[in-house]
Amino acid sequence: MLDTTFTLTKRQLGLILLVGGLAGFTGILAIDILDVGREGGIGPAQQIALGLCAVAALLGLSLIPLGNRPA
Amino acid sequence: MTDTSLAPTAASITPTVVSNSVSQRVSRVLLGVALLVLLFYFVVYVAYAANLMRFPFDYDQGEGFELVDTILFSRGEWPYRNTELFPFYSSNYPPLFHVLAAPLVWLFGPAYWYGRLLGFLGTLVTAGAIAYAVYRDGVRRRGNGHLLIAALSGLAYLASNTVYHIGPLFRQHASMVMFETLAVVVLAYANEIEDTRQRRRTLAIGLLLVIAAGYTKQLAAVTALAVGIFLFIRQPWRAVVWGLGAAVVGGAIFVWMTWATDGEWWRQAILANVNDLNVQQSVGLFRLWFSLHGWLIVPAALLVIYELYFDRLSLYAIWFVLAAGITGMASGTWGGGDSYFASAIAAACILSGIFAARTLAADWPFPDNYLSRLFVKPLRRYAPALSRAALLIVPLLYLGYGRAVLHLPTQEPVFREIAALLNVRPNALNAFYDSARTADGQFATGYADIGHFTTPADINAGWQLVNIIQQAEGHALSEEAGFSLAAGREVITNPTQLLNLDKRGLYDGSALIQMIENREFSLIIFRAQFYPPRILRAVGDHYEHYESVAMNGFEYRLLRPKP
Repeated sequence: MLDTTFTLTKRQLGLILLVGGLAGFTGILAIDILDVGREGGIGPAQQIALGLCAVAALLGLSLIPLGNRPA
Repeated sequence: MTDTSLAPTAASITPTVVSNSVSQRVSRVLLGVALLVLLFYFVVYVAYAANLMRFPFDYDQGEGFELVDTILFSRGEWPYRNTELFPFYSSNYPPLFHVLAAPLVWLFGPAYWYGRLLGFLGTLVTAGAIAYAVYRDGVRRRGNGHLLIAALSGLAYLASNTVYHIGPLFRQHASMVMFETLAVVVLAYANEIEDTRQRRRTLAIGLLLVIAAGYTKQLAAVTALAVGIFLFIRQPWRAVVWGLGAAVVGGAIFVWMTWATDGEWWRQAILANVNDLNVQQSVGLFRLWFSLHGWLIVPAALLVIYELYFDRLSLYAIWFVLAAGITGMASGTWGGGDSYFASAIAAACILSGIFAARTLAADWPFPDNYLSRLFVKPLRRYAPALSRAALLIVPLLYLGYGRAVLHLPTQEPVFREIAALLNVRPNALNAFYDSARTADGQFATGYADIGHFTTPADINAGWQLVNIIQQAEGHALSEEAGFSLAAGREVITNPTQLLNLDKRGLYDGSALIQMIENREFSLIIFRAQFYPPRILRAVGDHYEHYESVAMNGFEYRLLRPKP
């Protein structure tokens, strides 16, 4: 990464999106699990964020087979 | 590695046949018609801007406070102040737009026209940058750009209902989009510059433009994020080094402003600007954005998908996704609105223009991968037919867009005849037609209720209010600053900022409430009553409504102390 000619590949970008999407999805759900005193369940903003995290993970998954092409 | 292209091959269709085809001639005619349609919107835009520049009062809620900020900067004073102390005034916006306008206060005194002119010129610069970006893509890829598509892309930005109605306002949003667009266009190919000095200069200019956008309006943080992600994807180490450099410069200005204003910059412009989100408003505005700009959004999205799977991700694509996703969602916040989509509209104009120019040039190489094998190869035999269809689809995109964003005054000379020809009936104030509204004038929550032309009656009503303030003995508390400025009176409070602070639990208000209870204001003028509730309660307890003046579609309620 320190090399001035290094650039992210489609596979690396896919992995970042997959891991980020899954981590975000889990984190948003964890808010309700950890913060038990919180009322109202999963609100509309949370639902949208969950959807975006799922989309990011799926996008990442679809990029991984594209291999070493530059992103 | 093999490339699969949807471009027609020499064997399937020769260049001579293509150039002489009916499709090409029809395409050119339709593109010419699309250009005329978008030029018509440009004429409407210029007429609207000229009308607003002649209007000497607040047209959009809060313009007067932008003028007050500009006046304060022209005196070398900060507008970020303690709102607990008389005159209870503070700004909640970054300084750059007002600093740029400040010299005009020295030259012309307090006036609205030059702030509106700056906003208007900013949109023209943005449109020019969009056109240049589209043209440059063709030059870089094929050796020649498509001038007509570039012009259509720039004009499409100005034809947007949203850009039209916020462009010529004394507001900083259009200038922020200008700096954002310039930054994105400058940085789009910065990594590919081989000459080190030139690359560094380009990166420095681009990042300074990002900082300029951020110090014009806070919303530009999303563009900074897009730039950071783009630079990181292209060359992570360079992104870290330059990102740190930009953060140091931007952060140093921030710290200096916080120190110089005794913390009020942080309190008024940052803490007070974190507002609650109304998801329903965001969803409504997303729907409206798509219904008006879908003809550009769809090709823009297709280009993003293409870049994601078959090419390199461009800065334009990342900017479009983040501006639409994050800033679009923020349109549902208190103080937000359809203007929050302006950056996404600029990005969509660039991407759709590039999509259109590449389609006309049949410039769609598809590298071999699992997706091209699945979706592109089966279509290859239809390539000649698809290419001919594309010649018609591209101009139809701009014609469809031209129909979707229809807006014009219906009673002004020339426009009246055009409105009659199109059978357009007004659905907004002062006989204006705006396709963002229903036939009976309804519109999505958060869509700015502006765009109409002002009339001489509006100006007369404004001067009537100025006269009333001049005749008032003692302080006058006006919800809009313009009347007080014109009357030569001190501007007291910025109501929406008090409300911002109050919503965050940062406002006490006892000094202002005490003045109201002591009936120290001989006159109060309300428009939208965007004050903290306890201020409104105090006014209700101690003041009474005695007259209303209608101006620019709003009722200005005049209140005097109860006997």
